[in-house]
Amino acid sequence: MTRHDKIPAMVTVKGTAINAEPGSRPVLVDGADTIPRLFQHRCKQDPARVAHREKTLGIWRAFSWDDYWNHAKWIGLGLKRLGLKRGDVVQILSEDRKEWLYFDMGIQCVGGIASGIYTTDAATQVAYILKDSACRFLIVENEEQLDKFLEIPDGAPGVEKVIILEEEGLHALEGDRYMFLPELYALGQDEEKAAPGSFEAEIGQSAPEDVALLIYTSGTTGAPKGAMLSHENILAAMQAGLRELAVEPGAEQLCFLPLCHIFERNNSSYFPLAARSIVNFAESPETVFDNLREVSPQSFSAVPRVWEKVYSRVLILAQEATPLGRLAFSLAMKAGFARADAQAAGKSLGPIKGLAVGLADMLVFRNLRQLLGMDRLKQGISGAAPISPALLRWYRAVGVPIYEGYGMTENAATCTVNRPAANRLGTVGPVMPGVTVRIADDGEIQSHGLTNFKGYWNLPEKTAETFTADGWLRTGDIGRVDEAGFLTITGRLKDIIITAGGKNITPAEIESRLKFSHYIADAVVIGDKRKYLSCLVMIDQENVEKFAQDHKVPFSDFASLCRAPQVLDLIKAEVDQVNIEFARVEQIKDFRLIDVLLTAEDEELTATMKLKRATVEKRHKALIDDMYRS
Amino acid sequence: MTPLLEIRNLETFYGPIMALRGVSLEVHKGRVVTVLGANGAGKTTLLKTLSGIMDPEKGKILFEGQEIQGKEPHKVVRAGIVHVPEGREVFPLLTVEENLALGAYTRSDKAEIARDRDMVFSYFPILSERRKQEAGTLSGGQQQMLAIGRGLMLRPKIMLLDEPSLGLSPILTQEIFAILKKLNQDEGVTMMLVEQNAAVALDLADDGYVLELGRIVMSGSADKLANSDDIKSFYLGHANEGARGERRWKRRKTWR
Repeated sequence: MTRHDKIPAMVTVKGTAINAEPGSRPVLVDGADTIPRLFQHRCKQDPARVAHREKTLGIWRAFSWDDYWNHAKWIGLGLKRLGLKRGDVVQILSEDRKEWLYFDMGIQCVGGIASGIYTTDAATQVAYILKDSACRFLIVENEEQLDKFLEIPDGAPGVEKVIILEEEGLHALEGDRYMFLPELYALGQDEEKAAPGSFEAEIGQSAPEDVALLIYTSGTTGAPKGAMLSHENILAAMQAGLRELAVEPGAEQLCFLPLCHIFERNNSSYFPLAARSIVNFAESPETVFDNLREVSPQSFSAVPRVWEKVYSRVLILAQEATPLGRLAFSLAMKAGFARADAQAAGKSLGPIKGLAVGLADMLVFRNLRQLLGMDRLKQGISGAAPISPALLRWYRAVGVPIYEGYGMTENAATCTVNRPAANRLGTVGPVMPGVTVRIADDGEIQSHGLTNFKGYWNLPEKTAETFTADGWLRTGDIGRVDEAGFLTITGRLKDIIITAGGKNITPAEIESRLKFSHYIADAVVIGDKRKYLSCLVMIDQENVEKFAQDHKVPFSDFASLCRAPQVLDLIKAEVDQVNIEFARVEQIKDFRLIDVLLTAEDEELTATMKLKRATVEKRHKALIDDMYRS
Repeated sequence: MTPLLEIRNLETFYGPIMALRGVSLEVHKGRVVTVLGANGAGKTTLLKTLSGIMDPEKGKILFEGQEIQGKEPHKVVRAGIVHVPEGREVFPLLTVEENLALGAYTRSDKAEIARDRDMVFSYFPILSERRKQEAGTLSGGQQQMLAIGRGLMLRPKIMLLDEPSLGLSPILTQEIFAILKKLNQDEGVTMMLVEQNAAVALDLADDGYVLELGRIVMSGSADKLANSDDIKSFYLGHANEGARGERRWKRRKTWR
């Protein structure tokens, strides 16, 4: 390509040419320096190859790179005809589906900025994001999401056109402001006839430093902020992913976490562009586990909540098995744990133990992996929240290796990751290629690399606060790096609690230990300016219900489950167990259970189902006050 | 105060299918408790397990503090629990009077039985008019009245009513529920009422539970339930028309 004065040395990784020297510029993936150029290259390279699979009426149907290209082109040109200008933000309010990606590419190819809104957001939050991003074109999935848009009190006057993906139930909808997807396609086809080659010309205008996408960060405090990621940021992330993640050519993947989040966006939109893997869309959040079994992906990245759920399901299945089945399972687990521990210590098992593990794998684990849809999985990834080392060890025992990684929207979710060749449980791994990490004097983790974002949309002051004077990204997390370069996260800087006694405490460390209990889904430690620490606990519904049922603890609804004395004793025992590991000032003296079953729609939870400290403290003030009453 | 009826962690299976997945609830003396739920939620299974027609795999049923789970139905009846089954199930070839007499089968105090029969006739005058008629020739509503009347003839400590509104016109449903209310108020009959018609059930009941897929997802006073958004949109059919006035999609249930 002649656009660059100097082309850096290239190397082929998994069939794709990338910079030989991670972090060198320009960042090129198969010769492309922007997402649209790479997209164009991929679609033209092998148009008939399968890009996506979606289930319609119970049957998985395949869609090719040519379909991807054509639909993205019609979307891009259609939006252009409607008046989209380069640099305009287009918001997508939809569950995961192939059209989400068609829009992602279509928008970017004509110079727009693609951004997603969580389908679980309330109308007020949608209104805020639409206004903040000066959005003129909004994509909504269906009737339900459209109704949310219509509930916006001031009618979101900035939005000129709402494009609706599903017509069902909306035949009576009238007005110039609304348009159904087929009409947009038709508009794009028209535009293509009128000005052939204009789509390619738009792609030609893309530049590495342009903003490609906005990711609104949930923000545990304050209003959401739009993080601007450039083409270069994403291409750099792709390169790191090709090198160190299970981003494999031809691999089957499952797309099921929200695409508005950088984690799934990388995994399902951008990494497949780099690797030519196949993205299968889960039908709905409720069917993920069935879809997982059907697809049996080679590459699967998920948040800890998902890995925990799979584990709980297996335990429940095992407990409900026949006595012989239970015996076989517990013997197999014993052998499996021996293997996991030997692997972690870098030792090999003796011949007898090796034989036992082989048998366990053949008789029990292979079936189990097939049942879960993880029989082809070579490198599972867990990210976006801390995961229990005990859980990772369990997965290792059943022959499903999961590697924990770390990143945030602001560095395109590319910072550190464990990998087959370098894995330490309890850490988030060494840095990814092209990224450097340092620990500041106050313990903050700071990162540097081409994946660091351009800043927050329209918030220069916030952006300035996020970078140090010498240009490193302040992650806001605190942690340490060990002698081999493995990073361990210990907490959030702004969450540091200073007790009335003047002791500094990082709650995240205690909270993660609590969360490792199967009965605790999440916890928030309280104690700022207080005499002692306490915490609010969100119990794991499935496992605690199972406990109650097994131990004959009567309960009716969720609130009564949380009131049951035996459940309180159970959680108390878990808290006491965690307390042993901490110094006296860091011990939890009291706790309360959050007795409402929180869902993704609730403001207390982030998109990854973590409790938001500030919101929880505000909403459950009564519970907190109750703990400090005496 | 110990409840009249207390159910703890009840699990009941149809072969391999787990119909009740750990149900716990309480009925206090003199109260009307309703259990709401859609088709297949496990409502009828719950009543059948209570009256001994089905045996639970796990869990306890305490009636006046005594464990009765797994007991033969006739022993359960003698303990004072009457099950008015779904779909009436009166004896069609026997007369109204004979049906009522069968309801008092376990009793021998003739004078008292006659008094109770008059009481039933006073609540359901139509049955008195048709006392010599074969039950199979009664209308659906009259058969339902007869089934309830037959249950009353036992002088039950608690009546288990399985969908008394099933197949009845709204007017007749209203009428029967008004009588049930009167029975509860005047005679102090304790009732456990399983219903799909949430509006009438919550109107009559003091307390309620919502059963979904064999688990209780919500419980509380009937007022609390009637005011819950989920109950309103899923059981009471209050449609929120939405901004366009023709909303089709359903909100997700949160049960609070």
